[in-house]
Amino acid sequence: MGRQARTASREVRQARAAAARRARKRNRILSAAGGVVIVGLVVAIVVALVNAAGDRPDPAAVAADVVAPAGATAAGAIPIGAATAPVTVDVYLDYMCPFCGRFERANGAEIDRLVAEGTVRLNLHPLAFLDRASAGTRYSTRAANAVATVADAAPGTILAFTTALFADQPEEGGPGLSDEQIATLARQAGVTGDVVDRFAARAFQPWIAASTETTMTQITGTPTVKINGKLFTGDLYTAGPLTQAITAAKAR
Amino acid sequence: MIATTLRRVRQVRHADGWIFGTMLVSACLSLAASLVLAADAVTLAADPAATLSCNINSVISCGTVGSSWQARLLGFPNAFLGLMAEPVVITIAVASLGGVRFPRWFMFSAQIVYTIGVGFAYWLFYQSMFSIGALCPWCLLVTVSTTLVFATLTHVNIRDGNLYLPTRVQTALDNAVAADLDAIAVAIWLLAVALAVVLKYGNALLG
Repeated sequence: MGRQARTASREVRQARAAAARRARKRNRILSAAGGVVIVGLVVAIVVALVNAAGDRPDPAAVAADVVAPAGATAAGAIPIGAATAPVTVDVYLDYMCPFCGRFERANGAEIDRLVAEGTVRLNLHPLAFLDRASAGTRYSTRAANAVATVADAAPGTILAFTTALFADQPEEGGPGLSDEQIATLARQAGVTGDVVDRFAARAFQPWIAASTETTMTQITGTPTVKINGKLFTGDLYTAGPLTQAITAAKAR
Repeated sequence: MIATTLRRVRQVRHADGWIFGTMLVSACLSLAASLVLAADAVTLAADPAATLSCNINSVISCGTVGSSWQARLLGFPNAFLGLMAEPVVITIAVASLGGVRFPRWFMFSAQIVYTIGVGFAYWLFYQSMFSIGALCPWCLLVTVSTTLVFATLTHVNIRDGNLYLPTRVQTALDNAVAADLDAIAVAIWLLAVALAVVLKYGNALLG
């Protein structure tokens, strides 16, 4: 092998070794950077979890603080209408549930009329099992708490308020209506300002959580409607069938 | 001492037992989750009352979500795809654990098909995070286990040079795997998914 060829092969070897060193160095830098990213992500996850846990009410305090709205039944219902009405209608709903919105838009006016004329005593069961579907803002609980507050302090406006909440029902999975939007709807429905101001205290949140817990073992979904304690299995989403069933129950 | 341990861990990490064992466990988890989701979708389809109410115990939140177009992109519930694909992965994993060597073209095809599958899984993950917004634990399990199957399949295909790559790219990937960059990448990937879930659903998870 001539000197020239030896030099050439040495240069090739050196170039290869240099390339391998560069690759190792690059991989070391990438490993280190990856390690930093991993640590950063773990820290971010812990911080996010701690923040989320901070928003959570203390379960012990919740159990002690269950205050039912005035007039509420032991079964977690808000009764509306004359106690002497011949027909009792139980409606289980979640203000986030799109089908409850459809039910309300189809039958709300009829139910309001039957309550007003003294035929129906409506047992409203506001539930909050769809809290998971409002991007962390717990819209179901906030809406149900507002309704319970109205039931407690201004029961005359509760049907108008419920109708308004469903007329402006937010999309499932979104953040829901803001507290201000709920307050505005309440004022428009005739709830006075001092009652609206009580929404923010979330005084009935533990009561809603407790009645949701109990009710979830008794029904399979929302909306659920019972006439004189019996499950109504007819069409919930067109006006007519429910009214007919109520009229039939009244005749019996 | 630490260096020895690290070398041992590396040896195990690149061995068939670890790679195909992880693949097998992940594919089984994915299959189980798909089965739950498929059964739920069938119940939902068979019971008109269930599709017309917000079912309290349903894993697919309200009927609107279960019957959303994203939930049945190809005209049938997405979970059926998992029921079809995961048994194949399980077969590959079990056969490989038993010492079977599949031809290069076979592993390459499996890589292509599973890459499409993982893309679909992440499209669904994105949709459920930002369009549907419902927390679905079984869907999350599918996302994570699909990722692990994809990672192990890619790992073994890089190790065995099954991907028909140019020499330069293959060498670079070999070096990266030798430097454990693949494990770091998978860790970052899964932690990023976990962070997204915690940020979006932290309140629901703990509240």
